[in-house]
Amino acid sequence: MTKKLPLFFILGLLFAFDVKAVEVTTSDGEKITIDENADYDVHVSNDPWESFNRPMFVFNHTLDVYILKPVAKGYRVVTTQGIRNRVISVLSNLKEPLATVNHLLQGEPVNSVTSLGRFVVNSTLGLAGMFDVAGGWGWRVDKTTFDHTLGKYCVPDGPYLVLPFMGSTTPRALVAKVADGALDPVYLATLDRDDGWIPYGAYAMIGAVAFRESVIELSDDLERNSVDLYTTYRSVYLQNKAKYNCINEDNITDLYDFDFDE
Amino acid sequence: MRKGLFLSLVASMFFMAGVAKADVDPVKATQFVKDVTAQGIEDIINANVSQAEKDKRFAKLFSEALDLDFIGQFVLGRNWKAATDSQKAEFIKTYRELNVKTWSKRFDEFKGKAFIFEDTTPSKSKGQIFVNSVVPMNQQEPAKVVWRVKETDGKYQVVDIIIENVSLAITARNEYSAFIKNNSGGIDALIEDLKNKIKQTDSTAAK
Repeated sequence: MTKKLPLFFILGLLFAFDVKAVEVTTSDGEKITIDENADYDVHVSNDPWESFNRPMFVFNHTLDVYILKPVAKGYRVVTTQGIRNRVISVLSNLKEPLATVNHLLQGEPVNSVTSLGRFVVNSTLGLAGMFDVAGGWGWRVDKTTFDHTLGKYCVPDGPYLVLPFMGSTTPRALVAKVADGALDPVYLATLDRDDGWIPYGAYAMIGAVAFRESVIELSDDLERNSVDLYTTYRSVYLQNKAKYNCINEDNITDLYDFDFDE
Repeated sequence: MRKGLFLSLVASMFFMAGVAKADVDPVKATQFVKDVTAQGIEDIINANVSQAEKDKRFAKLFSEALDLDFIGQFVLGRNWKAATDSQKAEFIKTYRELNVKTWSKRFDEFKGKAFIFEDTTPSKSKGQIFVNSVVPMNQQEPAKVVWRVKETDGKYQVVDIIIENVSLAITARNEYSAFIKNNSGGIDALIEDLKNKIKQTDSTAAK
């Protein structure tokens, strides 16, 4: 990835996907028109690129089985829960600037100030984010990202996409992820250094391993019970992120309020 | 004129009574879910009894609290209509068994956790309501757990659990539809696959 953020590229992508209604072929082979404002059927996933995604999923899953998961298990063996909690806490603290900016973009100044306050307090009194001092004061963690912001402004998510090394995403989430990275304090601190990719790469890898360790039981469970793992991960990923799609508190149940007598 | 007013008043009262009857009582629905979770935590997780007794109690609570016939039918989606009666019966039986096995293993994860019940949200489906709860998590934002409750003649049952916006019923439906579409064996192959999973769960539990 280039270090300088190609903003024009991102904006171009955004416009490219900023279509009001698209006809897509679903995984069930049906053609449906998806309009971001329409109350479309949540039972079928928007996945016209399935023939590309499935081999990518197999590739990522193989990497996970042979590399990431064993490393995550090793990390669990050599650390205690207390240490792992501190690591997660430090990593989580580094996402507060992202929440600060996005709460503001979403028109939530109070939450924005809270996130900023959390970052300042926890980075100092909380010893680089190891301890959630601000949380103890009632400044609760409330994370948000660019994907959430774009969803709030009704930018369509686009089809499901699986990329090598990265996993589940969508065109909107991909664009948002690049923008998210630009607000990462570690990225900014290493930006101007020639060898900055070394600490940044290490930081990214620690994040991946720490996250993988935290979901070992959950992923084992999904794998044990699933009759089609690709579909399971797709379904879980898309349902979870659908809460950011142009919705408000009043219609959030639309996402899972399926009608039995369809 | 006064008589007309009286009649319309009576009529509107009847109408209101009718509306109230059609909706699920949010207080009772919430109490039902509270009771189920409390029973699970007190009588199973924290109870000082053997694992076999725990499994037995869990299977009973699970079967009573969840309407697995209803859920099983939903998760098969459009394939339900195409299935024969014996396939339907076999699928429901297998689906029930797999769920009891899976969840009795996972249930211990709720150890030390508590559900905080917030409010309810009406459903568009008749006789159903969403009971909203959160589970405080160590170090992270609390997890949002929504219980979809169905009321039939005063009896309450859970028909879906939605964790962080992910509906277990919709996930299973997506998965099973994909399996049936990609397998020439159709529903029979699905039932066979689920039975193998039950066997696997048994063998790992025995270790």
